[in-house]
Amino acid sequence: MLRFFSLRVFRALLTVTLVVTFAFVVLRMSADPALIILGPEAPPEVIAAFRKSWGLDEPIWVQYVDYVAAIFRGELGRSMRDGRPAIELVAERIPATLALTLPALALKIAIGIPAGIWASLHRGTFVDRTVMAAAVAGFTVPSFVLGLVLVLIFSVQLGWLPSGGQDTWIHAILPIVTMGVGGAAVLARFTRSAMLEVLGQPYMRTASAKGLPWARAIRDHALPNAAIPTVTIVGFMVGTLIAGAVVVESVFSWPGVGRLLVVAVSNRDLAVVQCILLLVAATMVLSNLMVDFLYGFLDPRLAAGARAGGH
Amino acid sequence: MVDLSPAAPTRRFAVTLPRLPVTVSLALLWVIAMIVIALFADAIAPHGFTALDLKHRLVAPGEPTHLLGTDELGRDVLSRLVASIRISLAIAFGATLISALIGTTLGFLAAHFRGLVEQVVLMLADFQASMPFLIMALSVLAFFGNSLPLLIGLMGLYGWERYARIARGLAISAGSQGYAGAVRQLGASPGRVYGRHILPNIASTLIVSMTLVFPEVILMESGLSFLGLGVQPPMTSLGNMVGYGREYLTRAPWILLSPSVTIVLTTLAVSILGDWVRDSLDPTLR
Repeated sequence: MLRFFSLRVFRALLTVTLVVTFAFVVLRMSADPALIILGPEAPPEVIAAFRKSWGLDEPIWVQYVDYVAAIFRGELGRSMRDGRPAIELVAERIPATLALTLPALALKIAIGIPAGIWASLHRGTFVDRTVMAAAVAGFTVPSFVLGLVLVLIFSVQLGWLPSGGQDTWIHAILPIVTMGVGGAAVLARFTRSAMLEVLGQPYMRTASAKGLPWARAIRDHALPNAAIPTVTIVGFMVGTLIAGAVVVESVFSWPGVGRLLVVAVSNRDLAVVQCILLLVAATMVLSNLMVDFLYGFLDPRLAAGARAGGH
Repeated sequence: MVDLSPAAPTRRFAVTLPRLPVTVSLALLWVIAMIVIALFADAIAPHGFTALDLKHRLVAPGEPTHLLGTDELGRDVLSRLVASIRISLAIAFGATLISALIGTTLGFLAAHFRGLVEQVVLMLADFQASMPFLIMALSVLAFFGNSLPLLIGLMGLYGWERYARIARGLAISAGSQGYAGAVRQLGASPGRVYGRHILPNIASTLIVSMTLVFPEVILMESGLSFLGLGVQPPMTSLGNMVGYGREYLTRAPWILLSPSVTIVLTTLAVSILGDWVRDSLDPTLR
């Protein structure tokens, strides 16, 4: 058990290191931020001063070591635009993003999992086909198209809901629905196939052969076993709470982390982009780690396998 | 002896076409139509897709010269749609091929060398799978500037880890089978063993994964272009059209309706085809 978990923690740390390096290499070597910020007409001495003040004139590996050291001190650089600490800029956007993604996650789980279970228990019927058709539609309609269609219907035609902005909770309805519907479709598909897999297992036949009522067999044997793959996908969704709303926030002009990222990317604001990348990586890695731990408890075979030298 | 076996079935000499489900036939028709449009875009488009016609701005659909209407600069929406289909499909095709090539090569390398190489490939695959692709793509694209080759190359990283895992797993099991060992004993180089013998044997599984990744690439590219960070003007793509059509949502919704419908139907059609091919070729992939 201990070996299983420490292996997971080691891999999580490795992922974080990879992200830090990726962010650093890509963002530093791709372009000269001094020219982008100051413009090509800036005098050479101004550019030189700017490069010196940002440490851009050091060799790349010195910049890297400085960067990693700064992360350990909790310094993630300052926005090159207004000089404020990047982490502050990002942090003040997080509540707005969570105000969308948390309710959307709840919506996905509330619709997706019951729909998937329901469809699997009525396999091949009209109910099943309807749920699956909805699930396929939810996957193939990109969120910006769904969002704009909802705006066209509920804002433009009916005039019931605002099309963008963040003034009241009413403004959050359309973005939340847009994200929730697509995610619910994915979750329904996953849950259904996980349930079908379990329902075909011999232990389900044994359960009914020994006279267990079907409803109890479902509750005691099918649902806990189908939970394992479903936990994975929910864990992935938890990992995207911070960054999963890039497109939807743009559609609805919602001032969250996603919008900040798009703006920072078009402004080539290195520090802010790095900060968001790191934050996203950290949330992804943490939620993956949580899923792994949950696995270890839900399915002791996995941890036992690791101890025996398996996966 | 009494012949107990039932009468031998009369052989029919008609060619029996596989019977396709209705949805699959429709999906196939749509995909073929899209490919034809992409290949013959210049001949099909009634106007140049950048041709301005300032006298006919925001014309509603239905006019004989502008069947799908015009946009805010008087550009013909149908012609732009045709050009966008070409670009979006070209990116998706190119990216899917690159991704399959990278993934399969890395998977083979992992299977051949095992040990450290395998660990590195698997670690990179885990890394790719655990990070949201959109976020990484956004950072790379905006910081390297925007060009079509770079966009295709970047999209070519989408989903490589799936091919790598599949190719590695299948190549390892193929390596322990007789035929691969036999060719190796005959003195074939590793490149020949993997390229000429193992690859053809696992190609069907890889092709199935390509049809499953392809619609996701279309969605990813259109999302990037929608954000204004993918295909750059004056070029156009389906996501691009939706992105700027959004400014005219109330006055001219037709600008974004036709590309939106095209994105949805194309991803739907390819997904249906992919699922069908998977179910009929390789039921183990479910």
